[in-house]
Amino acid sequence: MGDIRPQDISKPSEQLVKVENLMPLPAPYDKPGMEPDFKEIKDSWKEDYCASLDGFVGNEALVRPKTKEEEEALVKGFLRGLEKLFSDETNRNYLQPFLLSFEYCAKCNTCSEACHVFKASGEQEIYRPIFRSEVLRKIAKKHFNGDSFWSKFTGGDIDINAETILRLGELAYRCNLCRRCAQTCPLGLDNGLLAREIRKLFSMELGIAPKPLHEKGTMLQLKTGSSTGITKDAFLDMIEFLEEDIYERTGKKYKIPVDKKGADILLTHNAGEYMAWPENPAAFVILFEEAGLDWTLSSDMIGYDNVNYGLFYDDAQTRKIGLAQLKAAKELGVRRIVVGECGHAHKAAMVSIDRAMVGEDNIPRESFLPLLADLIKKGVYKLDPSRNDFPVTMHDPCNVARMMGVIQPQRDIIKAVAPQFREMYPHGAKNFCCGGGSGFAIMKSFNFPEFRNKISSRMKFKQILEAFQGVMEEDIPKYVAAPCSNCKGAIRDILEYYQATAKFNVHYGGLVELVVNAMVQFDRPFLEFLDEEEFVAKHVKK
Amino acid sequence: MLLTVFVYVSILAFIGLSLYKAYQYAKMPMHGRWELYPVPKEPGGKGHYGGSYYEDLEWWNKPREVSHAGEIIDMLKEMLFIKNLFINQRRQWWLSYALHLGIYLLGLWTVLLAVGAITELSGLTLSTPEGVSNNAWASLVYYATFISGGAGALLLGFGSLSLFLKRCFNNTFAKYTTPQEYFNLFFLFAVVASGMVVWSADPGFNYGREIMKALFTFSPIQADTALTIHILLLGAVMIYIPQTKMSHYVGKYFAFHKVLWDNEPNLRNSKMESIVKEAISYKPKASWSAPHINPAAQQEKK
Ligand code: SF4
Ligand code: SF4
Repeated sequence: MGDIRPQDISKPSEQLVKVENLMPLPAPYDKPGMEPDFKEIKDSWKEDYCASLDGFVGNEALVRPKTKEEEEALVKGFLRGLEKLFSDETNRNYLQPFLLSFEYCAKCNTCSEACHVFKASGEQEIYRPIFRSEVLRKIAKKHFNGDSFWSKFTGGDIDINAETILRLGELAYRCNLCRRCAQTCPLGLDNGLLAREIRKLFSMELGIAPKPLHEKGTMLQLKTGSSTGITKDAFLDMIEFLEEDIYERTGKKYKIPVDKKGADILLTHNAGEYMAWPENPAAFVILFEEAGLDWTLSSDMIGYDNVNYGLFYDDAQTRKIGLAQLKAAKELGVRRIVVGECGHAHKAAMVSIDRAMVGEDNIPRESFLPLLADLIKKGVYKLDPSRNDFPVTMHDPCNVARMMGVIQPQRDIIKAVAPQFREMYPHGAKNFCCGGGSGFAIMKSFNFPEFRNKISSRMKFKQILEAFQGVMEEDIPKYVAAPCSNCKGAIRDILEYYQATAKFNVHYGGLVELVVNAMVQFDRPFLEFLDEEEFVAKHVKK
Repeated sequence: MLLTVFVYVSILAFIGLSLYKAYQYAKMPMHGRWELYPVPKEPGGKGHYGGSYYEDLEWWNKPREVSHAGEIIDMLKEMLFIKNLFINQRRQWWLSYALHLGIYLLGLWTVLLAVGAITELSGLTLSTPEGVSNNAWASLVYYATFISGGAGALLLGFGSLSLFLKRCFNNTFAKYTTPQEYFNLFFLFAVVASGMVVWSADPGFNYGREIMKALFTFSPIQADTALTIHILLLGAVMIYIPQTKMSHYVGKYFAFHKVLWDNEPNLRNSKMESIVKEAISYKPKASWSAPHINPAAQQEKK
């Protein structure tokens, strides 16, 4: 189907669109054969799930109904949920922003240019920010006004069938909820919000949400304490390993404070860090201990995992997890919570649940970024930036920059430790999403990672390549700093997918690792990829 | 006399329905924070580069600073120049801005017609068949009315027609345009076109001042067929606008002030805290049905 319109989503076909002609990448990825092609989709996926949108399956909980009755139940449930989005009983928390974005769109198309998914896909119509919103509007108009003249006049010209609902359910997961589009809207409207409202409807009414977010995400976290499944005992073991790791790497013994009652700071991490990137919490240990801070980690249920995937798809889960995290802090009696390198955890803890509690429960929460910037400014650490004398660029996590307004501290930090720092363009509040936002980084079922690596992360990869233009093909290490667990995951995957580490020596990691790497007190680099003797001889053992 | 009453009704409907719309949005429950940076009321350079109080160490212990000037300046830029569209989509801005500037100028024109009518009612005639009055005030009002009305009508006519045509012939726009959206633009154009027919017979807008006088003195409006049609269309559009998304002058206020720029933190013992306290004590009378929210609903369905 060539020229797709929103109402075409309801017309049965094997696949509504086939994504091709992606946005070209800059050198050295401008030559043919530099990136893998899309793989063929399996027939069984088509039968069991919704592959009929764009050939990708991201939501494994969205199972294709097998009987007429199941189809009807899906449609009925969806429409019941739709009504709840418009109710001030069931959608109290978002009714006003939702109705504004629902009602006022002028279809001026200003937002399309801002969307990295739309642009990177070679401007696929279904990824245009207003496409999804318009489908939702049409369904609502049709549902509330029936087949009347008024319904058709106002745009309710869509068929509401199981295919419409299934495709919309997948389409809600082709938006990173990065809200870059909303920054450009002359009416202040937000297609990211509408995408999230659709996700919410599916989750909160029908119990349908991608497993990594729901079943193995928030549900597991509420049950075991962490979406990684790490229990309290496992956590305590990991802390011991971490102490050993740090000793091995730095030659210095640190005791990691856990459950220290009445500490000034409760530091919280994305628990995924302990498993995938233990050097990140390790760097925090070194920085906090060397600064003599009065801090602690929590081993309490939920206290050791600051993720809150509810943010991406479900208000009820956001609230439950957010409040449980605060409870852990309250029980420890800390004065403040400091959130480590996790973007969505920043927003969840500071912004999203800010209006969910009062009084003693409302423990002050802040980002580690101003704290670290302040320590560096005060000269607490002896730093030698020449230890990081290689090209470095930095990604701004959307949740930290665009949605919280934390932009300058990370620049003060990185400029103090990385002499070859170069910005990506655009950056700060106008940055592009890493492509892993809103859960994509952890959604790994079926061929969804292909969508992420080739489409939603494409703009970020382009920005990385542009930041390193001129040095890309030189055999020197290059580093992408991403102070966010999910962004780091997405960047890890693109560097792997495009073989940028293997071919061009591009590495990635957090921001704190770069700071520890510059600390003169250690005689080995903290960043492992610098272990090569040549680099060490030149920069470290002076 | 019916026309006089109709004009009154349409003016009152426009104001009343717009206020009602604003009231509906204003009385909605407190929503969760959904701000988006840059937030122009953040003080210093922050309002520009998109920074916030979260950049400050122990932000909750710092006095909360808000730059109202920053917010008002940004609001005015958006209201008067449609800044976001100008920056992000210049081509569309030319057409859309023509339409909006046309409306602003016609708003000014309406005020000037009223001023002219009051001037004439108090005994100073603005123009006679021999020409425009020599009195400085009278001629100022006369020419200002002429310029704002003429330019406003031309701009609104151009804007509405060009946007209508763009929506017809630009495929991307056409795909998303509903019949009502075509109708809205056409309706605006029809009002302007009917006005231009009347205006062409009376370039000085004396008819407008006569209508104003009739309204002020609550006496019948003298109108021929063309003017009657114009008045009916204009009145109808005024009653219609607040009931459609053309009432975005209301929506835009809430979208920016109450959503994107509302980053008021819930500090202990603050006014926000008492609002939150009240909001979280509310017990909703209905709930969602997914198993993780309402296991009972699942049982009922089975
Ligand atoms: S910029 Fe705003 S008004 Fe224009 S199409 Fe996008 S959401 Fe609609
Ligand atoms: S929120 Fe981001 S990904 Fe979603 S439509 Fe807007 S710009 Fe695109």
